[in-house]
Amino acid sequence: MLAEVGVAAVGLALATVLYATLAAGIAARRDDPRWAESARNGVLATAALLGFAVLLLVAAFLNDRFEVRYVAQHSSRSLPLYLKISALWAGQEGSLLLWSFLQALFAALALNHRLGGRTSPDFSPTAVRWAAVFLNLTTAFFAGVTLFLSNPFVQTAVVPADGAGLNPLLRHPGMVFHPPTLYLGYVGLAVPYAFAMAALITGEVEDWTRRVRRWTLAAWLFLGLGLLLGARWAYDVLGWGGYWAWDPVENAGLMPWLTATALLHGGAMQEERRGFRLWNVLLVAASFTLVLFGTFTTRSGMIQSVHAFARSDLGPYFIAAILLVLVGSLALIVHRRRLLTGPSEGAFLSREGMFTLALLLFTTFTVSVLVGTLLPTLTEALTGDRFEASPEWFDRVTAPQLAALLLILAFCALADRRLARLRGRSLRELWPGALGAVLVVGLAALAGFTDPLSLLGFFLIGMAAGTAIGEVARDVAARVRREEGPLQAFWALADRNRRKYGGYIVHLGILLLTVGLIGTRMYPLERDLTIVSREPVRVGRYTLVFEELRQDLLDDRLVTWAVVQAYQGDRYLVTLQPRLEQYITMEQTVTTPALRAGLREDLYIVLAGWTAEGTAATFTVYVNPLASFLWLGGLVFLAGGALAFWPPAPERLSVPQRRRRRVWNAVALTAGLLVLMAAGLAMWGPGHGAVVQSARRPIPGQAAPDFTLTLLDGSTFTLSGLRGQVVVVNFWASWCPPCEEETPDLQAVWEEYQGRGVAFVGIAYKDDEPMVRDFIARYGVTYLIGLDLTGDLAARYGLTGVPETFVVGPDGRVAAFYIGPVTAEQLRADLDGLLP
Amino acid sequence: MSRTKFIFAGVLIVAAVVYLIVSNTGSTARYFLTIEELQAMGGRAVGRNLTVSGAVLGDTIVYDPGIPRLTFTIVHVPGDPKEVERAGGLAAVLHAAVNNPNAPRLEVVYNGVKPDLLKHESQAIIRGQLGEDGRFYADELLLKCPTRYREEVPEQAGGAP
Repeated sequence: MLAEVGVAAVGLALATVLYATLAAGIAARRDDPRWAESARNGVLATAALLGFAVLLLVAAFLNDRFEVRYVAQHSSRSLPLYLKISALWAGQEGSLLLWSFLQALFAALALNHRLGGRTSPDFSPTAVRWAAVFLNLTTAFFAGVTLFLSNPFVQTAVVPADGAGLNPLLRHPGMVFHPPTLYLGYVGLAVPYAFAMAALITGEVEDWTRRVRRWTLAAWLFLGLGLLLGARWAYDVLGWGGYWAWDPVENAGLMPWLTATALLHGGAMQEERRGFRLWNVLLVAASFTLVLFGTFTTRSGMIQSVHAFARSDLGPYFIAAILLVLVGSLALIVHRRRLLTGPSEGAFLSREGMFTLALLLFTTFTVSVLVGTLLPTLTEALTGDRFEASPEWFDRVTAPQLAALLLILAFCALADRRLARLRGRSLRELWPGALGAVLVVGLAALAGFTDPLSLLGFFLIGMAAGTAIGEVARDVAARVRREEGPLQAFWALADRNRRKYGGYIVHLGILLLTVGLIGTRMYPLERDLTIVSREPVRVGRYTLVFEELRQDLLDDRLVTWAVVQAYQGDRYLVTLQPRLEQYITMEQTVTTPALRAGLREDLYIVLAGWTAEGTAATFTVYVNPLASFLWLGGLVFLAGGALAFWPPAPERLSVPQRRRRRVWNAVALTAGLLVLMAAGLAMWGPGHGAVVQSARRPIPGQAAPDFTLTLLDGSTFTLSGLRGQVVVVNFWASWCPPCEEETPDLQAVWEEYQGRGVAFVGIAYKDDEPMVRDFIARYGVTYLIGLDLTGDLAARYGLTGVPETFVVGPDGRVAAFYIGPVTAEQLRADLDGLLP
Repeated sequence: MSRTKFIFAGVLIVAAVVYLIVSNTGSTARYFLTIEELQAMGGRAVGRNLTVSGAVLGDTIVYDPGIPRLTFTIVHVPGDPKEVERAGGLAAVLHAAVNNPNAPRLEVVYNGVKPDLLKHESQAIIRGQLGEDGRFYADELLLKCPTRYREEVPEQAGGAP
């Protein structure tokens, strides 16, 4: 029943959107507001119907309706609630349904207040009606594909008792947010495209970029966020030490982001200087085409990708759509070419000049990525041989272009009058940039990054950052002279010029991100190591000690993790627990890396295998320099984008406008904060698998943490009260087989050494008193025994499991420690060494 | 005046990018071959950056976790997606390949950790160089298994440099 209603809702939505297309077309041709009003109703109905269909599919997931094949393939009864919801976009069919709905929703949001009446707040009514035609056609395409080719509501003949479950790799916060965020970006780019084409038809090419600026900006921000989340997910979950592999599917998301970046810059110039019209229509058409191309690469299976995408028969339809958009847009642009050739660009060393070069570089960058993605197909067509672009190919082709963009960025930040002075050969204006360059290069060299090419990169980064900061500082200083505090002055400037200051912050984010790119791509360290338990191994600046392997059998998977202590020299850093989860029913293994993130570098360890006895394990160890700058830069980038997105100050508006603006502001603020929080959570929050930082364990030579413990006989034991004696502190539990193994040894040594200035204390970790009493009776334990019910004491000793034993010398410092069962010989050796 | 400067700068940028693409395609791009094509090239293939794909023979997998080193043999599968489609899809092609004693084979050496997806009949995409000894020395190993899970998930095996 539910499935039939779902199909009907999508079918009806397709009908209403086709009707709305037709109605909007008639309204545009005949200039008839009644048809436009009808089209508006159609747009709203489509969004409502597709929203209803999405809700139905969510309901099917929540209620475990496995008669729906898509639900059976991507969910199971035991899946937690939030994953059942995110399973909606775990496969192609659901993704396309969600996509259709978002497209309809964005169309409704963009058209609702513009379409229908005799007037529209910005575009002419005719332009709005044409935009409605294009937006509706886009929705119709996706709704049609969903209904006829990739229907999520298809039912199974036999209803399975339980679903196949969600792929374990997708059970990660990054994967919960990454796809819908990208979809929002893709879908959002359709809005500026539709209005640009409409503006070309009606000839309003002057102002379209300004009127849809916030749509472009929002789509661009969502795309950027989606890419960042995907990178972070790959870094956390896939366990290959990297975050970006230049895979076709990744490139598919990057390319429209690059063209949208160029479009934002071109749009700013079109508003400022009225030029760049041809650039902007070409860029918006390219962005939208690349969105379709992206869905095509991810769905058609025609391009070899590491992403194991489902092959499906959608390919030809997408190729047809891409060609239609490409040919249609170009024809329209050629038709309107006279409107598009605006006033010519200004001087070379001016903002226009720099922006022109930047747009050109963004274009060549995009084309390079496209060529790399299609290289096997291209070379086969040209030479008959298939060549494939390696990540190295992409790095080498794009890095010089990125460097050129950084150079331009350094000049773009300068105000026009300073550029004019530069043209007059006055180099005085360059000193903030030079200072920044020297500072950053110096810092990088001090930190050990001395490769000349990377220093060139740091030079450009420092120069761009220095120039921008210098520019802001001069603005602030000018206001401070008018008796304002520096912070107050900065705040007022940022508030008044949100776009400009948002831009500064975005650029700063990109610069930070570039620092991360240089570090991770030019100085990576990777080692495959087989480490024997308790034998220290040096990797880079680290010493790793593999202590032991632990296993846990859960309902659906066997989890194996290694306990690895990382030291730098003699200094204990952290305990890392890389993990391998073998999903039994799914025949899939998930390796969760363990990560110690630092500002200078990340230490990243993957557990790859182990010997049968568990005494040696194989690890892949990565040291990723400056990786934290990637995520830091990402967050700065988002914050700057949010500031630029913020509507301008409401002073210049009328009262009703101001009221509307306030409501809109509140909604936008909430949404923006939620997105930022979700992004922060996904990138830095908990849930990153084995990213464990357990308390430091005292190592030999360090003071043993003092504690007071109530013993089984009711007396109290204080460690510091036994200064001058040797104390053996043994953490154990009655339920632990290795503890049973070591207890006779402990008891034997205790009997040998008691009365010679030695104390033994056994601390039962999170145990039950009757079980403990039973255990010590069984083994005839006569040394002191106490209970650590909460595990607080164990935490102070950085315990990773039981048993662990610490031998504390007469000076109160740890003399030795043992992970796992201790033997009588080991204890005797320690005691003989410590006792007089 | 400034117009010529722009044209000059634009041409310079485009030329530089074209040069970057062409020169890197010569040096760092990888030649994508089937095993049959690789063996037809003979000695000319030695030392070049190559990508080869084939079906894994499960019995031949030998893994020494101590070094770690992995050796196994792959069997020729057609490279053209259309041909694969005609033969009934990837799973059928892989199955036919491992059961064909006459299909060309290639021994692969990989100094690295054994990926979980490396098993009988999985498709291996291998990047590296052909050695003088006729064995293929892989730098990178990607694996695909035709499974019933169809989600768009990157495989865990191998990885980027």
